[in-house]
Amino acid sequence: MLRSALLLLVTLLLVPAGQAQPLQAYRADAQAMGTTVAFTVYAPSAEQAQALFTEALTIIEAVEQTLSTYRSTSLVSRLNAEAGAAQVTVDPAFAAFLQRSLAYSRQTDGAFDVTVGRLVEAWGFFRGEGRYPAADALAEARQQTGWRHVVLDTEARTVHFERPGLRLDFGGNGKGYALDRVQQRWRTQGVTAALLVFGGSSIYAIGAPPDADGWRVDLPVVPGTAPTQVMLRDEGLATSGGAHRSFELDGRRYSHLLDPRTGQPVQGRVQVTASAPTAEAADVLSTALFVLGPRDAEALLRATEATALFVEGTPERPRTQAVRWRVLAPNALDF
Amino acid sequence: MMQRRQFLRHAAGGTAALWTAPWSLGATGVAPSDQVQLAVIGVGSRGRWMMEQALQVPGVRLRALCEVYEPHTAQAHETLAGLEVPVYTDYRALLDQESELDAVLIATPLGVHAGPMIAAAERGLHIYGEKALAFTQDECDAVVRAVQQHGVHFQIGHQYRHAPRVKRAVERILAGEIGRVTHIYAYWHRNNNWRRPVPDPAHELHVNWRLYDTWSRGLLAELGSHQVDFANWIFGETPTAVLGSGGIDTYHDGRQTYDNVQALFTYPSGGSFFFSSILNNHKMGYQIHVMGTEGTAELRFEDAWFYYEPWRPNSAVPKREEGASWAQSTPSLSVEGDRPYDGPGAYVELPEDDPGGSADYRALRAFFEDLRADTRPWADEVVGWNATAPILAGQRAVRTGEPQIIPTWNGG
Repeated sequence: MLRSALLLLVTLLLVPAGQAQPLQAYRADAQAMGTTVAFTVYAPSAEQAQALFTEALTIIEAVEQTLSTYRSTSLVSRLNAEAGAAQVTVDPAFAAFLQRSLAYSRQTDGAFDVTVGRLVEAWGFFRGEGRYPAADALAEARQQTGWRHVVLDTEARTVHFERPGLRLDFGGNGKGYALDRVQQRWRTQGVTAALLVFGGSSIYAIGAPPDADGWRVDLPVVPGTAPTQVMLRDEGLATSGGAHRSFELDGRRYSHLLDPRTGQPVQGRVQVTASAPTAEAADVLSTALFVLGPRDAEALLRATEATALFVEGTPERPRTQAVRWRVLAPNALDF
Repeated sequence: MMQRRQFLRHAAGGTAALWTAPWSLGATGVAPSDQVQLAVIGVGSRGRWMMEQALQVPGVRLRALCEVYEPHTAQAHETLAGLEVPVYTDYRALLDQESELDAVLIATPLGVHAGPMIAAAERGLHIYGEKALAFTQDECDAVVRAVQQHGVHFQIGHQYRHAPRVKRAVERILAGEIGRVTHIYAYWHRNNNWRRPVPDPAHELHVNWRLYDTWSRGLLAELGSHQVDFANWIFGETPTAVLGSGGIDTYHDGRQTYDNVQALFTYPSGGSFFFSSILNNHKMGYQIHVMGTEGTAELRFEDAWFYYEPWRPNSAVPKREEGASWAQSTPSLSVEGDRPYDGPGAYVELPEDDPGGSADYRALRAFFEDLRADTRPWADEVVGWNATAPILAGQRAVRTGEPQIIPTWNGG
């Protein structure tokens, strides 16, 4: 559960209109979904903040127990084991999530694809740091990849894989989905200002801190590019980058970010950050745009009310390229 | 309704094939006439999760919900993602008006278990009831009586009986792998206030009922039930006496149930079971240590490890073949085995063909399979009674500081 003690971050007391008790900022860190979650929330008391954190972790634990491919007892592990041979019944919330995931695949022409599980395995990035796959293993993995091979019957709530051996992997949108579940619940609990950070790669901001226009968030810094800060308010932000999980062979770097359509790691791109109305959409877009690149990004970003910042090139020679990228609110620059 | 239940009971032969080869029977694998019509009473966080797991079992159709706290109802609608079902605020109205039901899943606060359980049994409905069984000893007796009088299936929510590694570990323990088990130490330690967010203080009891004597028996019941059941399972009997201690020592926030409890249960054949739950230190987390004369099994929620004692003074010497050596000389002294509890232990692996699924999913699937095949649930109402009677006596021991005698199930 909570791995670190509750931290009182801000001692400033504020009494917004309509609030019976002054709000203070509280922060907690915990381990979940293979990474660190860091939550900051404005709450009337430490007790209420801790209750919110506990509830958030309960929600995330439920999402992890459903989606994780690292847990043999998860629903997705059971689907991956059975759905190639049988119709597998799923619950309504998962059916809706899978339906959205497949819709994202359609919308991104397969650049985002939750059926990349076999490709991730073939390239050695499942429980590993990567390896160049044998040709026949890669060919087989490509044959077992493709969102069109997932048959979801929304009425019967059943899932079937037309290609036995296909493996679902929600690494591209699971954290965003979890953050959205938390932010939706917290809003019903009356939370008006909170920042939810999942491993640095997936972020959602509820409202804004008192007396601020939004939450200032630093993007992961790519050496050789200018540090970038962004102001978030009621929106999600996600960053995809390959540097931390990649391997080098014969002078060439191969990252864990794979193009589901070719079965190959994406080349010529270092990092993509996307902001969108939900954490899940931001997650999906950062993954899809890492595959698609800036040239094909404009229409997709317009359709999803999103923005993106690309770092193209190589880690040694990076260059930044914005597509519909946000203009920082004036006071975000006022340090 | 009765015809439906009779059909379910008499369809055992056909349904056995149905569960093992669902893809041969159309889209869902379940014929429409073979569906189980389910209602869920109580959709707080536990009830919603269990509802979600139940809806992953083929052929389970949700017919209605009952919930008194509106935000929980709204969250249940999120879980149902557009699946529309009637929502009641009175379980009696639900049971009266939903005439097609086969079974109910009851996940209300402990103080509100017995009412819906007895009412459902009286209407001939099968019951999956969250632990503990009921709030008082009299209520426990009444629930078991109602279930048995009306001949319905009852499964208690001791889902860790269905956690695959736990189950496999227990099979090995019962087969003698760690010798004679004498002690079981169980922990459920957390570092949080056990509170849930309450937007409106008027609804404190609906949300944080675990903290108040109105409906709760505290940590011992809410977190200790599983472990008491586990100790019963291992020892093959139920405890007869309990010592307890505890208090409100960290969270002075108006709660009534203790924020730390310790209880020591004595079993008739000499076994001892110690349970501790505290809310201000997470170190031990959820662990059960089963200590036998030849080793220890360590269990977590869904994981298990075995450790072996360095020497076994009472082990029998196998018969040697003619001319076989008694020992092989070694060039150096080996200290391997002197510190058997260092290191990770021998992990309990699952077979390749393990069917998968969470402990909750497996428990619910077993419930619906038993219902269709008319076989008695493994964790039935008596298993629930046998875990709850020690809990209720333990709670009295914790509160009074006096040793308590635990009643024994006498067969009804």
